[in-house]
Amino acid sequence: MSQSAHLRSDGHPVAKLPRQATTEDQKLEDRVPAQIEFRDVTKMYGPVAAVTELSLTVGRGEFLTILGPSGSGKTTALMMLAGFESPTKGDILISGKSVAAVPSYGRDQGIVFQSYALFPHLTVRRNLEFPLEMRGMKATERAPLVERMLKRVHLDSFGERMPSQLSGGQQQRVALARALIADPPILLLDEPLGALDRNLREQMQGEIKGLHREFGKTTICVTHDQEEALTLSDRIVVMRGGKIEQLDTPEALYDRPATRFVANFLGEANVLDSPELGFNDQNFRGKVPMVRPERVRISAVNSPAPAELGQSQVATGIVEEMIYAGPLRKYQVRVGEKSLVVRQHVASGQEVFAAGGSVRLDWLRADVRLLNE
Amino acid sequence: MQIFQRIGRAPLTLVLPALAVLLVVFGVPTVQLFFESLNAPSFSIQNYSSFLGQYANIRVLLQTLEISAIATVICLLVGYPTAYLISTASKRARMVLIVLVVIPYLTSGLARTYSWVVILGDNGLINSALMNWGLISSPLPLIYNRAAVYVGMVHIMLPMMILPLVSVMLGINTSLIAAAKSMGAKPSTAFWRVYFPLSMPGVRSGTLLVFVICLGFYITPAALGGLGDAMLSTFIASQVSTGFNMGSVSASSFVLLAIAVVMLSVFGLNLSGTQDSAPKPRKGFMDRFSLLRVVKQYLNELSVASRSKQWSKALYQAQGGGGWSRFVGSLTLTLVIFFLLFPEVVVIIMSFSSDATLQFPPSGFSLQWYGSFFGDEAWYGAAWTSIKVGLAVAALSTVLGTLAAYGLSRIASDIRGWLTMVILAPITIPVIVVGVASYFGLVNLGFIGTETGIVLAHTIGAISYVVVIVSATLANFDRRLEQAAKSMGARPFTAFMRVTFPLIRPGIIGGALFAFIHSFDEVVVTSLVSGYSVRTLPLKMWENIRNEIDPTVAAVASLLTLLPILWMIALYVTWWRARSSSQNTVLEATA
Repeated sequence: MSQSAHLRSDGHPVAKLPRQATTEDQKLEDRVPAQIEFRDVTKMYGPVAAVTELSLTVGRGEFLTILGPSGSGKTTALMMLAGFESPTKGDILISGKSVAAVPSYGRDQGIVFQSYALFPHLTVRRNLEFPLEMRGMKATERAPLVERMLKRVHLDSFGERMPSQLSGGQQQRVALARALIADPPILLLDEPLGALDRNLREQMQGEIKGLHREFGKTTICVTHDQEEALTLSDRIVVMRGGKIEQLDTPEALYDRPATRFVANFLGEANVLDSPELGFNDQNFRGKVPMVRPERVRISAVNSPAPAELGQSQVATGIVEEMIYAGPLRKYQVRVGEKSLVVRQHVASGQEVFAAGGSVRLDWLRADVRLLNE
Repeated sequence: MQIFQRIGRAPLTLVLPALAVLLVVFGVPTVQLFFESLNAPSFSIQNYSSFLGQYANIRVLLQTLEISAIATVICLLVGYPTAYLISTASKRARMVLIVLVVIPYLTSGLARTYSWVVILGDNGLINSALMNWGLISSPLPLIYNRAAVYVGMVHIMLPMMILPLVSVMLGINTSLIAAAKSMGAKPSTAFWRVYFPLSMPGVRSGTLLVFVICLGFYITPAALGGLGDAMLSTFIASQVSTGFNMGSVSASSFVLLAIAVVMLSVFGLNLSGTQDSAPKPRKGFMDRFSLLRVVKQYLNELSVASRSKQWSKALYQAQGGGGWSRFVGSLTLTLVIFFLLFPEVVVIIMSFSSDATLQFPPSGFSLQWYGSFFGDEAWYGAAWTSIKVGLAVAALSTVLGTLAAYGLSRIASDIRGWLTMVILAPITIPVIVVGVASYFGLVNLGFIGTETGIVLAHTIGAISYVVVIVSATLANFDRRLEQAAKSMGARPFTAFMRVTFPLIRPGIIGGALFAFIHSFDEVVVTSLVSGYSVRTLPLKMWENIRNEIDPTVAAVASLLTLLPILWMIALYVTWWRARSSSQNTVLEATA
């Protein structure tokens, strides 16, 4: 095999992983982002199904987030892809080939673990060298790669530190660097930002986005944090009880949730299923109408009616609570049996409604979404 | 590589070598003994009825229970306040106190029993002192009676009561007491309503372990008690050594075993093996080796330095009590530590005696007993045998025990509970029963009276220690580190050697150390399986204590007293290093 086969266009030497005999072409192909396919994958733990008939295709270079509450099967799905669990039924394919027989150490994936799993007994440098070493790379070849990677994640002077001497954000960056250094075609992130505080989290979201743009890895991220999912992903899979609830782009998912679960899990939702709001079972045929709090307008009862009256739905209610949250105000308004949430951006000259007062709510019929239960 | 992969998927394979040794040396003969006790194949309870039919046997049985119960209660009454005082002391004082409790815990039981012979004997410390002062004219009968048995047993078992208690008490959040007081509870109410219930797990495991181990006591009652103070194990041991009736030995062993198992299952272990209770026995067992946990906890404290904790502690202590209670506390601690350590000091002084017999205080000083130890082949030969056996046991049991612990950590928790219970049986049931069973196991193998036989007999107990200590370390080991290594292309064996092993090495070294100590001090099982042809150091000492009462044994005991200090240094070095290199795992352990 020629040396050039192991160099990328930028001269970055490519690590080779010992693996079964494959053709030269396929080896090259491994270096471009891989395509991932779950085909009817089911995982049973005894009688309990953690994942049920999961089918999903992740495109080359795509950033896909699996979002769900704990117990939704998202981590199990990731663990099966990483090779730490094997599917009870179904198959997982990477770039068209089944990986059922490939152990975790032969899958060539970079993984950022929840709480990072940095080796506590090795320095930052030795942590970064580990994947290269496992691929049989010589020390002289490893050093420049490590140097470059450390620089890339702004940790140039931290090579000799122990992981315990780093802050949470620094540990996170070491974990990302370690996952990327051997240039794997796939990057897996398991709750990557869960352990960080809010400010750091936003900063690291930017970092992850930057690394994804730069390295272009096919990335699967598992999280229960909706904000993380919305900001990072090309597409989001919402999982519930081991099944896919909905799969779409972040915007489509937020704007057009298919089910009540998705609507509630991503953001807040006003479900309009009470008779006062014109709801009855016949006219919606098993679906429930929903409107997002920021689509609802709040105004004084005696103010002039909205211009587009024909296209709007109007309700009157009593303010139960007003919460001021910096850029926006959140009202909780009781309309009959229901309590609706209204989110209003703070602007000058705006009327503020105190708790106990009567208000009028209105929203465009076009903003109402019909949800499956 | 395929093999490693398969082993990785079937962790039970890793437990098998340890189980095999355990079954051959201990499990199979136990079953054989049971059938023998039932006169298989005809099956009758004749052995049991004849055992229970004899008044003398019933008396010994009741006496065994009585002595064990009283010794346990004394240990608890002394141990609880001591543990409380230790756990509320300042960090530095706590460290020193724990070391002072651990030193006797690691010292040879024979040496400690012998020290009481020196103190309580007719020419011993107390009688000599009283006679010298003219308070008495003839020696008081301090030794060879029930009181001496209690003193000796409590002295030996006290650390085993204190350490689990300290370990549990250190885990109690002191701000709970402050919270109770803030809600209007008086200090005593706060103690009884909040602290005491939270310390119950320690009370339960400490009490249970001390009681069950007392049931199997053999050396101390035989050395310090009178003829009327025989315990069941003395009775069984004498039956084994005097051309016995196998049926009756096995019947009496099973009576003792039954009592121990009933105690363990009623108060400690839930034998139903449900998921809920499975981790419990493991935890209970581990409390026994609280040295590890206490020391680890201590290291955690050093590295955490949490302000809020200190704040609540300050609040707690400020309201805790005035000078009087502090004085009583210090006095109690001083007395207990004195009781634990003074006998060892007496033996060290005794070892420099120039007299020909046991007499205190010595009329002059000389090194003659050290000379007689190093000059007599019977002595140094025995010591050499013990060292050889100990090293072999440590090596064998560390390998088998580490494999087993690693396998156990990967097995579903319900099976794990059962397997752990089986593997730990040799150190949880009365030692005399283990001795009788191993005797028959080694008869099966034809290893009676050989060093190999002794190594095997010691290994089953030593494996238990290694499993406990390595499991405790593995419990703090984050499995994701191994997964991370694999995701980076490390094969399972490489991942173990490069990541897991370096991180659990302190536990493995600690386990090896305990395995060696276990073998080096073992006398009960050894006396049964040595067949008079192999002499280990404890056997030689035991013989010497029983027959000659020649102060050479004091020299040996003094040397043995130095060993724990060596052990402590070894543990300190390994664990201190562990702290600096794997701070994360240690920290996670507290979280």
